[in-house]
Amino acid sequence: MIWVIAHLTIRQLVGRGRTILVGLLSLIPIGLAVLYRVGSSDTVAAEWTSNVLLEGLVVTSLLPLVALVNGTAALGAEIEDGTAVYLLAKPVPRSQIILGKLLGAWLVTSVTVLLSGLSAAVVALGGLGSDRIVLGFAVALVAGSLVYTALFVMLSVQTSRALLAGLAYVFLWEGLVNGLFSGTRLLSVRHYTLGIADGIVDIPPYFFEAKLGVGTSLVLATVVAVGATWQAVRRLGRFEIGETT
Amino acid sequence: MSVSAEPTIVLADVSRWYGNVVAVNGMSFSVAPGITGLLGPNGAGKSTLLHMLSGFLAPSAGTVTVLGESTWRNPSLYRRLGLVPERESVYAHLTGFEFVRLNARLQRLADPDGAAMQAIRLVDLEEASSRACGGYSKGMKQRIKVAAALVHDPQVLLLDEPFNGADPRQRLHMMDLFRRLAADGRTLIFSSHILEEVERLAERVLVIVGGRLAASGDFREIRRLMTDRPHTFTLRTTDDRRLAAALVAHRSVLGVELLDGRLSVRTAQFGAFARAVPEIARAEAITVRELRPTDESLEDVFTYLVNR
Repeated sequence: MIWVIAHLTIRQLVGRGRTILVGLLSLIPIGLAVLYRVGSSDTVAAEWTSNVLLEGLVVTSLLPLVALVNGTAALGAEIEDGTAVYLLAKPVPRSQIILGKLLGAWLVTSVTVLLSGLSAAVVALGGLGSDRIVLGFAVALVAGSLVYTALFVMLSVQTSRALLAGLAYVFLWEGLVNGLFSGTRLLSVRHYTLGIADGIVDIPPYFFEAKLGVGTSLVLATVVAVGATWQAVRRLGRFEIGETT
Repeated sequence: MSVSAEPTIVLADVSRWYGNVVAVNGMSFSVAPGITGLLGPNGAGKSTLLHMLSGFLAPSAGTVTVLGESTWRNPSLYRRLGLVPERESVYAHLTGFEFVRLNARLQRLADPDGAAMQAIRLVDLEEASSRACGGYSKGMKQRIKVAAALVHDPQVLLLDEPFNGADPRQRLHMMDLFRRLAADGRTLIFSSHILEEVERLAERVLVIVGGRLAASGDFREIRRLMTDRPHTFTLRTTDDRRLAAALVAHRSVLGVELLDGRLSVRTAQFGAFARAVPEIARAEAITVRELRPTDESLEDVFTYLVNR
């Protein structure tokens, strides 16, 4: 049943007008990598790729934005247009509906950011490289996609302003507050993602170093993904469709 | 309401409010197999009631049971319950067949393809079943929604304004289908704000006004109550004053008024008054040039039922 719902979700997300916007966004890292290769730069390719391209652009902006678009639309768009009734009026446990939606949105998000980020990294490095940058960030992007998507799916059943709340989390909390108060990084999916990447890549710390350790990042990422999914299931179980929605 | 068979739907003192607004107020009734019309003006609380019956809204007070089970937070009930929502939206990117098959799969049917085709055949939409639902007309969307609700052969079917957008032929076809389903022992509740729809289809009726149950029972009895409510007619004749004097003596007339060159007559017996006017006019040698009822909205009719 989870796969039936995930398949529906993938078709919904890929068929939407937002796909064009997401597609254009995902071309930006590849374009920048091409510019880096053809232009002259004093920065070492491994440092530029990990620091500027993957951390600065893909993990910081592309990943949360793609996850936000897909995570909030996966169930939120159906709640908004009324088609959620066809899922909710079925003898399907709410946990399976949420897991199906999460799986669909996670797959679409992962494929999008992997294609974009890794293609850009390969272009910038002139190949796969020998320092596991591509592998490290591939694993981290898949994990980060899952945590972000779980968070945004939860937001979409929690509030009708999920997109706004998600943007506030990405740009205010992760973009601003995390920079001002180091303790708040413990509640940042961006830092979990970078922590996981740092645990795999094999480059000197002066090229790339995450603020959280890989162990801490893995534990916190798991806690947030499981917690958000649990809350989404709980909320959907009490979800009301009426004249106020 | 009086029922001959065991009730499948029971509401006991059910209320639902949103903040300070009471949408449904202390409603109690039971519904047996057959077709029951839920009649009321827009905003009367029909959709709120159907949402509670569908398990999409929790009652603020009271209990709602369908087939002996509480509807709220009880997804397993949907194996025996079908729902046609009022909103037109369907999955626009799916074909009609894919949409109904999706519903069959979500119901965990053994043969979702076969069940989907059978349900599509029931609503007479085979030819359009390979087209994307997004391109369907409003009437076709209504029919594919009905097919999706019927795909698992539910015992109870809840339909929120099912004839919206349907042309007369489609309407007749759906009415025939609903009658057949009811004849097989299923319970159908459909909401409408159109009296004629309810009159043609429902065996029993629940009239909802302002969140309250205004009337319930056999449709013919309610129709009689509606017909015999006080009506006001205006007349233009060759001698309004003399006709007024003659009419006021008739038992069907409650009062007369001469105003702005017109005669206004209030009656509580529609049929008797309709027969009396030509007889009295002929006896008095008065020519009636115009006789028309004052415009009354459906809301007025419903309000009368509530206040009687």
